[in-house]
Amino acid sequence: MRSHREPLFHLAKQGDVSGRRAWAIRLASFVLAIFIGGLIFLFLGHNPFRAYGEIITGSLGRKTALRQTIKIAVPLLGTALAIAPCFKMRFWNIGAEGQITAGAIGATFFALNYANRLPSPLLLTIMGLSGVLCGALWALIPAIFKARWGTNETLFTLMMNYIVIGMVKYLQGGPWEGKPGSQIIPNFNNAAVLPKVLGVHCGWIMVLILTLFIFIYMNYSKHGYEISVIGESPKTARYAGMDVGRVTRRTMMLSGGMCGLVGYMVASGANMTLYHNVADGVGFTAITVAWLSQLNPFAMIAISLLLAILDKGAGTLQTAMQVPTSISDIITGIFLFCMLACEFFINYRILFSGGRKKEAKEG
Amino acid sequence: MKKLTALLLAVVLFTTLFACVCQAENKSIKVGLVCIGDENDQGYTYNFIRGTETATEVLAGKGIDVEWQIKFNLIEGDPVAVANEELVEDGCAIIFNNSYGQEPAMLTIAAEYPEVQFVAMTNEGSWKDDLDNTHNAFARIHEGRYIAGVVAGMKLQEMIDKGEIAPEQAIIGYVGAYSFAEVVSGYSAYFLGARSVCPSVTMKVQFVGSWSDATLEANAAQALIDQDCVLISQHSDNTTPATTAEKNGVFHTGYNADMMPAAPKASLISTRIDWTNYFVYAIESVANGETFDADYSKGLAEGDIALTTLNEEICAEGTREKMDEVIDAIIKGELEVFDTSTFTVNGEVVESFLAIDMTGDFVPDEGEAIWDGAFHESQCPELMSAPYFNMPIDGITRLNEAY
Repeated sequence: MRSHREPLFHLAKQGDVSGRRAWAIRLASFVLAIFIGGLIFLFLGHNPFRAYGEIITGSLGRKTALRQTIKIAVPLLGTALAIAPCFKMRFWNIGAEGQITAGAIGATFFALNYANRLPSPLLLTIMGLSGVLCGALWALIPAIFKARWGTNETLFTLMMNYIVIGMVKYLQGGPWEGKPGSQIIPNFNNAAVLPKVLGVHCGWIMVLILTLFIFIYMNYSKHGYEISVIGESPKTARYAGMDVGRVTRRTMMLSGGMCGLVGYMVASGANMTLYHNVADGVGFTAITVAWLSQLNPFAMIAISLLLAILDKGAGTLQTAMQVPTSISDIITGIFLFCMLACEFFINYRILFSGGRKKEAKEG
Repeated sequence: MKKLTALLLAVVLFTTLFACVCQAENKSIKVGLVCIGDENDQGYTYNFIRGTETATEVLAGKGIDVEWQIKFNLIEGDPVAVANEELVEDGCAIIFNNSYGQEPAMLTIAAEYPEVQFVAMTNEGSWKDDLDNTHNAFARIHEGRYIAGVVAGMKLQEMIDKGEIAPEQAIIGYVGAYSFAEVVSGYSAYFLGARSVCPSVTMKVQFVGSWSDATLEANAAQALIDQDCVLISQHSDNTTPATTAEKNGVFHTGYNADMMPAAPKASLISTRIDWTNYFVYAIESVANGETFDADYSKGLAEGDIALTTLNEEICAEGTREKMDEVIDAIIKGELEVFDTSTFTVNGEVVESFLAIDMTGDFVPDEGEAIWDGAFHESQCPELMSAPYFNMPIDGITRLNEAY
């Protein structure tokens, strides 16, 4: 009698999944995403093979395209690395967007005011330090509130984004505005522009160094150990004599500082100016990168490159095949969805009721 | 079967030959266009896309085949630079950037590719830099605005004459994007046009702080109507001010596109820049290996300013005749839009105004714009195409100054 009311299936936590099986599931989900995306192209009357071909050639096929793809991947990787320690600590910092923007403001201040007074290497160093400091301080505010009063860091960091973006809008229309009424900050002097290495601003070297740094920091340092203990259980950490508040503040400052560095790279290396959309959603997309890579710094390189290829390639679809940008966004969304959903199938098993009944009978 | 194959082969050969001959006669050129929005805005970018289409037709008639490569939704910064570089790589011989904010990024690429021509519309950096391959272009849109203002003023005066409103109730509400010279120049010209036929008119300006935000524009229009404005005009990209005007039973004149389909009971007329002439001029020059002007601005006389269909159903009686008379006077040079005897700033007639900033500090330091009793806006080649009229003239109230 009761078996009739049982749901059709239920979920069971999967034990340790073998690495090979996990990667097989991930690969399958990727193939599925390609397939669904292809169906959408087909439905819109485009040849899916040509569309995917355009995505690949549009993002990797030419030197400038490749450079641009890397330029998109750099801030994604840098930000994913930045939020990884927070997420490991289960401190949900979704304020990377704002911390990037704060860093960009810090860098821009020196770019606009000291460009003619300091030699370029010194100026660039000061801009970088200022960016790191601004990002770190901006991130410290929610950490203090969390540590002192237990505020919800998710909401707090999110709201902080809008404040700092508003500040840039003010600067654009106020003290830093170029032509009156234009809302545009003039381009940086060449002395304040990051030099290029192999055709891309040298931020790519910085993020690769950061990758190594975060890998060592998270796995082989006392700080990294404290972070993972707090992430597992703050009570255990306290029992072990760790100062949870201090670690929280320190980790957020590290995270915000790295985001600030990313903001400096984007403003000085790519845009050569500051505008309110300087973070351009990177702070949020980086969360996806961090999750998809299971907080593994080296996996983040691959994932951020993959997203950059999708982003850049989808952008060229509009020019090459008159596919609207909204469709490109949908395709990117499908990829992200499939890739995130597959983690679910790695962690859980679906058990159908029919099977269970049989098991029960046999039992 | 053999015969059929032979016949087919012959046809194929013949058509290929024919096609070859045709192609040999026509020059073909790849042209790039970087847009701030896309044609869905039904306004600013849409107006450019229309320009590309008509220009392609005209150029085809001149034996030049144009292949457009258009990139959309690029506002500023690095994405704009990348778009320009990609267009160069695609083989574009000339690349247009349609928005003010794109110019700095465009210039960084222009310096690297001296063999490609770059045009920044509405901006002013290119004609005065040291690069030979950079250009600016705009149009004397203040002439179109002035005429739209005449149409609005005629309507307001008719309402006064019929006793529907008192003379002091003739208030125009203007939805502006930013307090930027291009916008200030536009609404000032519009206001002077209206006042030339309706002496008691005043105007309130509400800035939205965005070039294109349908909701904000509608809200601004509503706020103006709530403050007793009986006619709405705009310098922003959407049709929502027109639909808001219609919903409230007030009148409207538009910009960039005919807004009559959106608001048939409110929209009197719109004015827009017709980019056809400039596209044809610049592209033809490049295709023929000739140089073209570093700065360009033409107006009604040359057909670069267009007025959309007058809404005869709702406009005031005699509008058509008055309009034609004013157009004629402007073309003949008998009427100056910014005649200094028609406006004052803080109660005083303006006698001197510098238009051009050559030192890069955004403070004009040369280029006297007032001579022969008139302020000369978008004056090419004497001054520059980018608008510079930014004086707060009496009779216009800015409701918010922040933008």
